[in-house]
Amino acid sequence: MVTMPTVGFAGLSHLGLVSGATLASRGLSVIAFDPDAALVDGLRRGLLPVNEPGLADVVGTPTLTLTSNAADLTACDVVYFALDVATDDDGRSDTGPLSALIDTVWPHLGPTATAVVLSQVTPGFTRTLAATRMASMPRPGALYYQVETLIFGRAVERALQPERYMVGCADPSAALPEAYAQVLAAFACPVLRMRYESAELTKIAINFFLVSSISTTNMLAEVCEHIGADWREIAPALRLDARIGTKAYLGPGLGFGGGNLGRDLATVKRIAGEHGTDTRIIDAWRANSTYRRDWALRLLRTRVLAQAPDSRLAVWGLAYKEHTASTKNSPSIALLDALGARGVRAYDPVAELPERLRGSVTMAADPLAACDGADVLVVMTPWPGLRDVPLDRVAAAMRGRTLIDPNGVLDGARAAALGFTHHRLGTTSQ
Amino acid sequence: MVAAQTLPSAPSRVVLLGARGFLAAKLKAALEEAGTDVAAIGSQDVDLSGSGAAAALRSRLRKGDAVVFLSAITPDKGKGIEALMTNLRMAEQVCLAFADVPPGHVVYISSDAVYRDAEVFVDEGSPADSTSLYGTMHALRERMLRQALGGAPSLQATPLAVLRPTLVFGAGDTHNSYGANRFMRAAVADRRIPLFGDGEEQRDHVFVDDVVRLLQLVLARRWAGVANVVTGQSISFGDLARKVAVLAGNVTVEPRPRAAGPILHRHYDATALYRAFPDFQFTPRDEALAIAWRGYAGAA
Repeated sequence: MVTMPTVGFAGLSHLGLVSGATLASRGLSVIAFDPDAALVDGLRRGLLPVNEPGLADVVGTPTLTLTSNAADLTACDVVYFALDVATDDDGRSDTGPLSALIDTVWPHLGPTATAVVLSQVTPGFTRTLAATRMASMPRPGALYYQVETLIFGRAVERALQPERYMVGCADPSAALPEAYAQVLAAFACPVLRMRYESAELTKIAINFFLVSSISTTNMLAEVCEHIGADWREIAPALRLDARIGTKAYLGPGLGFGGGNLGRDLATVKRIAGEHGTDTRIIDAWRANSTYRRDWALRLLRTRVLAQAPDSRLAVWGLAYKEHTASTKNSPSIALLDALGARGVRAYDPVAELPERLRGSVTMAADPLAACDGADVLVVMTPWPGLRDVPLDRVAAAMRGRTLIDPNGVLDGARAAALGFTHHRLGTTSQ
Repeated sequence: MVAAQTLPSAPSRVVLLGARGFLAAKLKAALEEAGTDVAAIGSQDVDLSGSGAAAALRSRLRKGDAVVFLSAITPDKGKGIEALMTNLRMAEQVCLAFADVPPGHVVYISSDAVYRDAEVFVDEGSPADSTSLYGTMHALRERMLRQALGGAPSLQATPLAVLRPTLVFGAGDTHNSYGANRFMRAAVADRRIPLFGDGEEQRDHVFVDDVVRLLQLVLARRWAGVANVVTGQSISFGDLARKVAVLAGNVTVEPRPRAAGPILHRHYDATALYRAFPDFQFTPRDEALAIAWRGYAGAA
């Protein structure tokens, strides 16, 4: 009879919590550790620190043990270091807390344990870690780096159905330790072994291709807006091209939000600066992202406020994307920052208004309340629930008939029937 | 590129360097109407290109003045090296004067000529590496002021606003540059608007009254940063000429041979301006053209 390994997770922020809980949901015994006893206590009582669909279900898995005692990890065959690495406004990673976590946990690793870094580290981190920890390693080569591909808002779904595992190794030609191989086998997907640096760069490479797709899509979507084309008609044709792919990022958006893509761009800029590589394409991507982030602002200024400066504005959505409370790099917040004291009424089901905007923006209890008396409704975050708000009730609540709906949350045909002018990305306004 | 700095108090006195120009005259009138103490220094008062200009300027400046630097030899008066050097000498003298009498705020009226002509899509992050001497001059002056204001300890806290207006139109323009001003003049004088080629090249155009209102905001807030003064909505010269023709009535638009060369459009991303001045709104173009036209027609 095969004994299944016990798996440890150190660091219960978004990445560690999702990864540990989903693994436990597959029947593996998981010990999830965080030094923050209050966090662990809250998790035991069902208080989740992040908003992620499906997370509550997997956190309740009986095979998941939550602890704030690092010594509990001694029983683990494989221990993941999975603390999310924070970035500053310039996209620089702060691996200090991760290193501190490793310092805390390392003495408690069992003599045959395999250590796996799952956090978003910069290239070179794992090799350095191996070099500095070699003397106290359980055995040479027992440190791995595993690429995470977490997506905010779809993290549980992605963790339950991974496309592949990418594993950075000290020696890619050597087989993985049996316990670690068993863990990866739980999801029956390809496992790609490579050297540490390749794996660390693979993570970045994935994000670069996403940025490339997003930027190209956004640029061409803007062309559509000017010439009467509709990106929604073009994207399906692209998806059927095998070189582009059915799941390519071909939805126009307000730049690439969040911090992870920006972090990876900053990382490669830094590396390129040290070694001399042409990365001017990154500058163009960044500029285009900022430019498209402000799509709604330009539209408001040129199509609405230029003619009616006193227009009342309603904004749906503060979060940088749906299914998250995060407003970091949020296009909505960037818009509100640029609107000044216009008495905007806003609604978001989860995200909170930043302190600096509390004097100029009023939060409404529900979407319709935000629309009360508004001339323009701007839908900045595509929360699914907003699609269900009846447009006739929106029309009844509003004074004006302008919808700025970059992601096409609202039904354009229905909006037109109700007399709205409907603006969305990638198509000429109706 | 744009760093907002808002301070609550309006300047106690505004000094205009360059008093006779189109924009200076409008700004002076608007500031005085708002009750601001204005000292307009024209070339008849101080010849900024002279070697003793700094000393003469010192005697006219007061510590803490808000200084709007508008003086320049414009391309219609000289495009060559001599004009370039004269313009740079003027900036040199102004910088020398600032070192002794620190202003409270400096506003430099630069130009969108700092950008390459071939640059189709421009924002404040676009390289200011014009191929024309006039554009190069403005870019150099911006750097001179930045260096001067960041150099001496007494000047390091002085905010510098650099404004780069695109084509400015309005009655009273002194340059007669190609665009709305020349079209309106021609409509008044000849009932014919000459248009080069088909007039398909697109440009942004700003109404002088809007530039003045923006300048008043810049001064009131002691705003610092770089901003293109642009609407973000370009229009072809042909469409602009036809709008003027409609306003004027009984005026024809007459194509003229266009110099050989590629069609170059220019579009601006005005987002930085929107962000810096959320409460500032340009007059709608048709309305601005109508006001300007009334000014031209009334003066005829």
